[in-house]
Amino acid sequence: MSSTKAKDPRFPDFGFTVIEGARATRVPGGRTVAEMEPEYKIRGRTTFSSLFKNDPFDFWVGPFYVGFWGFISVLGTIFGSTFYTYYTIFLGPYSIPQNFFAGRLDPPPAEVGLSLVGVGEPGFAWQMTVLFATIAFFGWFMRQIDISMKLNMGYHIAVGFGVVFSSWCTLQIIRPVVLGQWHEGFVLGVMPHLDWVSNFGYRFNNFFYNPFHAIGITGLFGSTWLLAAHGSLILSAAQYRGPEGGDIENMFFRDTIVYSVGESGIHRLGFIFACGGILSANLCILLSGWLVQDWVSFWNFWNTLPWWSGV
Amino acid sequence: MATFNPPTPGDIELGPRERGRIGKAIELPVLENFGLDSQIGPTYLGLWNIAAFISGGLFTFVWLAVMASQVNWNPLAFAKYFFVLQVDPPSTFYGLGFPPLTQGGWWLICTFFLTISILCWYMHLYTRARTLGIRPYLAYGFSSAIVLYAVIYIVRPLWMGTWAESPAHGLKALLDWTNNVSVRYGNFYYNPFHMLSIFFLLGSTLILAMHAGTIWALEKYGAHEEWDEIQAPGTGTERAQLFWRWCMGFNANAYSIHLWAFWFAWLCGITGAIGIFLSMPDFVNNWFQWGVEAGINYPQPPPVIP
Repeated sequence: MSSTKAKDPRFPDFGFTVIEGARATRVPGGRTVAEMEPEYKIRGRTTFSSLFKNDPFDFWVGPFYVGFWGFISVLGTIFGSTFYTYYTIFLGPYSIPQNFFAGRLDPPPAEVGLSLVGVGEPGFAWQMTVLFATIAFFGWFMRQIDISMKLNMGYHIAVGFGVVFSSWCTLQIIRPVVLGQWHEGFVLGVMPHLDWVSNFGYRFNNFFYNPFHAIGITGLFGSTWLLAAHGSLILSAAQYRGPEGGDIENMFFRDTIVYSVGESGIHRLGFIFACGGILSANLCILLSGWLVQDWVSFWNFWNTLPWWSGV
Repeated sequence: MATFNPPTPGDIELGPRERGRIGKAIELPVLENFGLDSQIGPTYLGLWNIAAFISGGLFTFVWLAVMASQVNWNPLAFAKYFFVLQVDPPSTFYGLGFPPLTQGGWWLICTFFLTISILCWYMHLYTRARTLGIRPYLAYGFSSAIVLYAVIYIVRPLWMGTWAESPAHGLKALLDWTNNVSVRYGNFYYNPFHMLSIFFLLGSTLILAMHAGTIWALEKYGAHEEWDEIQAPGTGTERAQLFWRWCMGFNANAYSIHLWAFWFAWLCGITGAIGIFLSMPDFVNNWFQWGVEAGINYPQPPPVIP
């Protein structure tokens, strides 16, 4: 891969990945969905049909692909949103439009521990909603794998969705299980979940002092910054009609900040930034209340490090 | 690209408008193994670039020097306390006047150079894009960050009549200012512009992960060559469009996904700036109270629902 000769920067060296003739398939102006979609609508090539020879849901509904996992995801969505809507909005304490904002589903009380609560007991609707939402999210994740298989792409989108799904699992399942009570799960509801986030931060004294929170926020702001830089760069050059084509983008960034990470590099960097920020956010939540009770006194170790004890 | 835009060898490394460029292209071919571009430099030296670096350097120098003086120039103490040292703005006693250097004067000097540096950087991005013949959208995107900075450090303190409302220059100080302004104005979670800003912040991260993941997954079809894909979409872009059409019912294209990207990221800063600006006694003193009056929240928690 790495020769010492400078290559044509227009074509970063993916000799092992860019398939033969991919560039020759480009059509000026492109093809419409109606023109090209039938070519890609093939049967099979899903997780379920690989395992069991045939996928009973291997069809499209309008623009949507269904598949076995789409069926699972729809089931989870219908049951989960029914529980959520019925208990917060129709059974809620205020009028229906007010319940949309202020309605809430609390997790079971601390005494319940990790057991399942019965119908009508506090926390029942929360447990049901979390259960069906988790099924729906997992189905959606598997469905993205199915669609990637059908289109013969990499699985990066499913990995990205898996990262945010891991946040849900960390908050609602892993951390409550680690601490031994469902009560630690977060409250469902538009305004109440904001209250929960706010209270959670101050319960551990001050979340701004949580270093993994800081890394997570850096990932979020960094993602927004990379998105702005990438989006605006592509828009700025979209109507450029010079002989260098996409190279003007690289030249612009070399001129302004010395280095241009390149057409493939910006997408790899962006994907890693976005996913890394979320993974660090998972860690900052998981550690709070488990290994760390107070993020301010957490920093006491800093002042007692041996090499500056005399200062 | 090969279909309609033949390469022009010899024109690639330096590109158009060579005047003002310094250095030679350095090749680090190992970077290509990670999909990153292997060429570093040459770069452009211009009036605005130099001005931005000089004023930004002055800001950094004054900031670090004042913090170092606070620990009697002891390098070990400077390292130990680096995160908690801060250069404070003038107290409310001085209003918008110029206080003694150690009581906020250094902060005014720092902020002045920082602001000049940021504005020069905007001009650098703007003029270089114009010179190269592309549109200055990167500068337009930067305007969102500038507005947020200007509201926090300049406009809001001016409106309130005291520089003390600005954040101090320091790492912990910035976190503390953020925390305190939220608590002082009755919990920022109830501020609707803060909600919008967070929506666009998380939405930007989501769009970045979706777009970057899509393109990374389709590199073998050349989908990352986006300028070419916009002019002449190939099977990579077709697959990207079909993925999202089949997954969530609609899709962008190689051009419009970058419009989504630009506006989501731009609005994050702008809505945040509005939310900060409104948080003062003249407008909204308590966002919790505002939420109660708007009917989205209630002072008493409701009874627990099963």
